[in-house]
Amino acid sequence: MIGVLLYLTGRSARNRLLRQLRRLRTPRYLIALLLGLLYLYAIAEQQRSARSGADPSAAQWVHLLAMLGVVGAVMWAWLFGSERRALVFSPADVTFLFAGPVTRRWLIQYKLLRSQLPVLLNVLLWTLLLSREQFGASAWFRALSLWVLVSTLSLHRLGASFVRSAVVEHGRAGLRRRAGSVVAVIAAGVVAGWTVWHAAPDLAAAVRSRGADAAFEVVSAIVRQPPLRWLLMPFDLMVRPLTAPSAAAWVHAIWPAAGILVLHFIWVIRSDAAFEESAVEHTLARARRERPNDSARQPFFASVRRPLPRILRLAPTGWPAGAILWKNLVSVVRVRPIRGAVVTGIAAGLGSALLSFGAGTALSGVVGWLALMWAVVMLFVGPQWIRNDLRSDFAHFDLLRSYPVPGRSVIVAEAAGSAAVLTLMQLALLLLAYLAFLGNETMELSLTERTLGLVAAAVYLPAISFLSMLIQNAGAILFPTWIRPGPERAGGVEALGQNMLLIIAHVGIITVLMAVPFVAATGVQVLLHPVLAGWSEIPRAAVFLALIAFEAHVIVGWLGGVLERTDPASIGV
Amino acid sequence: MLGLVGPNGAGKTTTIRSVAGILRPTAGRVTIGGHDMATDPVAAKSLLALVPDEPHLFEYLTVEEHLRFVGRLYQVPDTEAQIPVLLDEVELAGKRMALPGELSRGMKQKLLIACGLLHRPGALLLDEPLTGLDPVGIRRMKATIVARAEAGTAVILSSHLLHLVEEVCTRLLILNAGRALAFGTIAEIRAARPDLAGRTLEELFVSLIGADSPNSE
Repeated sequence: MIGVLLYLTGRSARNRLLRQLRRLRTPRYLIALLLGLLYLYAIAEQQRSARSGADPSAAQWVHLLAMLGVVGAVMWAWLFGSERRALVFSPADVTFLFAGPVTRRWLIQYKLLRSQLPVLLNVLLWTLLLSREQFGASAWFRALSLWVLVSTLSLHRLGASFVRSAVVEHGRAGLRRRAGSVVAVIAAGVVAGWTVWHAAPDLAAAVRSRGADAAFEVVSAIVRQPPLRWLLMPFDLMVRPLTAPSAAAWVHAIWPAAGILVLHFIWVIRSDAAFEESAVEHTLARARRERPNDSARQPFFASVRRPLPRILRLAPTGWPAGAILWKNLVSVVRVRPIRGAVVTGIAAGLGSALLSFGAGTALSGVVGWLALMWAVVMLFVGPQWIRNDLRSDFAHFDLLRSYPVPGRSVIVAEAAGSAAVLTLMQLALLLLAYLAFLGNETMELSLTERTLGLVAAAVYLPAISFLSMLIQNAGAILFPTWIRPGPERAGGVEALGQNMLLIIAHVGIITVLMAVPFVAATGVQVLLHPVLAGWSEIPRAAVFLALIAFEAHVIVGWLGGVLERTDPASIGV
Repeated sequence: MLGLVGPNGAGKTTTIRSVAGILRPTAGRVTIGGHDMATDPVAAKSLLALVPDEPHLFEYLTVEEHLRFVGRLYQVPDTEAQIPVLLDEVELAGKRMALPGELSRGMKQKLLIACGLLHRPGALLLDEPLTGLDPVGIRRMKATIVARAEAGTAVILSSHLLHLVEEVCTRLLILNAGRALAFGTIAEIRAARPDLAGRTLEELFVSLIGADSPNSE
């Protein structure tokens, strides 16, 4: 059976690669690939010329950060990981494999083997991207360490998805069957939460008195103390080979990491019962739903059929493309429990504001910094995460093109939907941070300055988000086979490298697009400052927004034309 | 009412996509109600309705919301009044609050047809419109399409169901490998090939595309 598995995976990968190579006959794909390769080559050259062997103190921070990054990835898999994504099989898999004479364990092995393709691609990318100075002397060691780490995380994500699925789909019975895993996760969460709660005042005091460096020292001390130290031991062992400074240290470090990988493999393979419950039922249920004239289907989306808020009522006349914008906003309301999120946000904001005036300053400070950090992170990753735009509409490309709406209006409506969601999320996070620091009188920025900052964010962020979403939608139209269509971005640690390259490309383009408006607006502000003083920020904002609007207008016009000329067959419709 | 028939890969969907303004023709012009699809696509498309062969609906819009969505796109002021009428016509009145995940393929197809009829189009492009419908659904849908054609709507219907095409279409366009093999009423097509007199439409079609020759597969 293993031969069939290898044949299927190998031939699929080969044919996919050939198709992508054939696509290089299209100049835009060729140019983009050359630029990507040039970027990786430059990084590799930089690595080659870099001195190997890190400054011991810097290496300590790198190790700590890498370990915390792995902890974050694992926490994400348990808290927000999508069980569906890990269990997705293609319709062809359902037809040939699920109905074929194969065991469930074999299906898991197939799933694992298939996941190795993105893992290997990402190992290659990260081997080039990670600094030689900080991450081992040899590229081969680095690649092997990364493979062990990424494969372990990939297996962990799959195992976590089995547990989550069992609990979600079978409730108490699923909880009983997966009790060991659930208890371990809850215990780990309690230990981590308890430690962070107790460490928060020290951390806040260190940041206040000695800055960010002191915070690292405190964090380092915290993770060295039991019981957190024992809890973090597996993460420490997983990261050690990657940050090992010498070949001898690497040889010592790789065995425990490989052992953890093997344990994960056994955990996942032994989960075949859970897999049978979740993956097979999930996939077959989906197949049943898609089968024509099947009256025995269960309503799959019944749980998301929420009534629309009054603000989302659509008038029969008006801007025609408004229908597309409305549709994209409705999809967000239907997928996410918006009302619950708003109520939670308001409660968190008010609670943090109250805490900031009293004895809970340290805790509200942590909330504030986290919110602020996420608002900044959303600038970079938000445009990839939020996809209620053209990227979700590829399956409807035929219909979209048949509507009496010009291409540029379609682009504006599509980008506006995701830009609105991104902007609202960022502003909500900034407002939360503002409230969490409301009573804090020790900050460098005064309350007035923070208020002005919040107002400035409300003025600038919609424009920046719109421009960001235009770039993402341009990518979807110009490189439809590189940008994963559908509502979900390529996920998991396996896709981390690809996503990072996309983020780098996005940040590069938006930096170029904002450079001229920024320089021009700042020039105007400098000129007018002697006359208008602080009020010169208003013409500055006006010039910046006007230039961004001009750029957006040009991009929208161009993309609209591209959309109208795009052959649906070229994007696989 | 024009029937578009041909073997797989003949170019039926490509033809429909070209007429709908989705593909740009490499030669020739498409005009709808006097509006050139190349120079005035919005006006031309506002007179059209396309019902594609795959019933891809928007996952998070209910049946009723799909009609509202299309109503806004085509600027139909009486959308709300039309919704119950159309849903009754396509037998989806009981499903107006359902999401696509709760509909069978046939129901999705009916919803797409209802969306196509909402703005009273001058031309209706139907690509395999009856796929997935049950016998009663096919019968009702045929009646709906014929009624629209009789009311003055130009209908282009692509289908492999030759008996359906023979029953409802007034003209035929037979395509093979991207070329028109025959165009006209069935009587005109038969008259052009006296050697095929007395044959059924299926036999006529098979002969025209050359699938009955000894060398064909």
